Amino acid sequence: MVRMRDLRRWVIAAVLALGACTGAAFGADLILGDPGTLVPSAAPGLLGPITELGRTGWNCAPERAARARTASDAGLPQN
Amino acid sequence: MFARAAIASLLVLAAASGAVSAQTYARPSAAPRTTDRNALVAQAREREIHERFMRGVGLEERGDWNGAEAEFQRLLVLDPAEPKGSTVRYDLALAEAHLGRDDVAARLLEDALHRDPRFAAAAANLVAIQLRRGDLTAARAAADRFVATAPGAALARYARGLTALRAGDLPTARADFRALIDADPAYAVAHYDLALIELRAGRDDTARTELEAALTLSPAYARARFALGTVLMRDGRRADARIAFDRCARDAEDPVLRALAIDLRDRL
Repeated sequence: MVRMRDLRRWVIAAVLALGACTGAAFGADLILGDPGTLVPSAAPGLLGPITELGRTGWNCAPERAARARTASDAGLPQN
Repeated sequence: MFARAAIASLLVLAAASGAVSAQTYARPSAAPRTTDRNALVAQAREREIHERFMRGVGLEERGDWNGAEAEFQRLLVLDPAEPKGSTVRYDLALAEAHLGRDDVAARLLEDALHRDPRFAAAAANLVAIQLRRGDLTAARAAADRFVATAPGAALARYARGLTALRAGDLPTARADFRALIDADPAYAVAHYDLALIELRAGRDDTARTELEAALTLSPAYARARFALGTVLMRDGRRADARIAFDRCARDAEDPVLRALAIDLRDRL
């Protein structure tokens, strides 16, 4: 019984691995044929919460990030 | 005569030192008392706004989005004046977005921007949510508004450049990523996106230059290394392409990208 279960697991793993390889090969062909399929960088993330008085004065981190002039100050994606 | 003068001097000195040692207090201000019903209701409302804001933001910082949503829903009913009114909508939108209700979040952010058109953080989050919804038309409208609000902001240029790239508007995408690079030349990702724009425009040489710039700034940038491999392969430089795919396979954290890089490397 235990052996049957192990065998079934191995078969499923082999099928999944084969599928992944086929998918990767298909994706590689697609990318070489059309470089427009290369994926752009990640979408910007959501800025965090703002307190009751956050926007009164200069100490509002999300508002500062939204107006920052450099990528690091703005918290932009790194890939 | 001398004795009288001495006594008088002592009395003046004693009076002066007494004045110095005595503490002085400002006149007490009147205690804030009222029996007016409307004033009491207004005070209670302000107190509730303050308390619910503190609790709501605290819950969001701890990732308790359901709890935060309840606090900000109540604040929405209380409808505080600006800038708190638009801030309530911003914070509630954040909770709704984390609860998977992007449509509701987008409407709340539109409302926040209607109340305060210069609310840059709301403009930024609206673009991010519309991109997540996959609505490129709405994302572009939001991104245009964000750039108009904060034209020098890196996030505004990045968000609109990415939206334009996804929608196939290459001139706008190119202008935004170029502006981002001009403001922050060390940002490798902008070079990568600019390379993708040039590839789609059929300018492989310019694309390769941008990818090499990205990899000079960030040598372990696997996605840029992979893109460089495809450009080299299209140019017939198979040995260089193989090196690029091999390096990508070692650097990539994304298993799909790693599998693609291995497949292409092994074909060469």
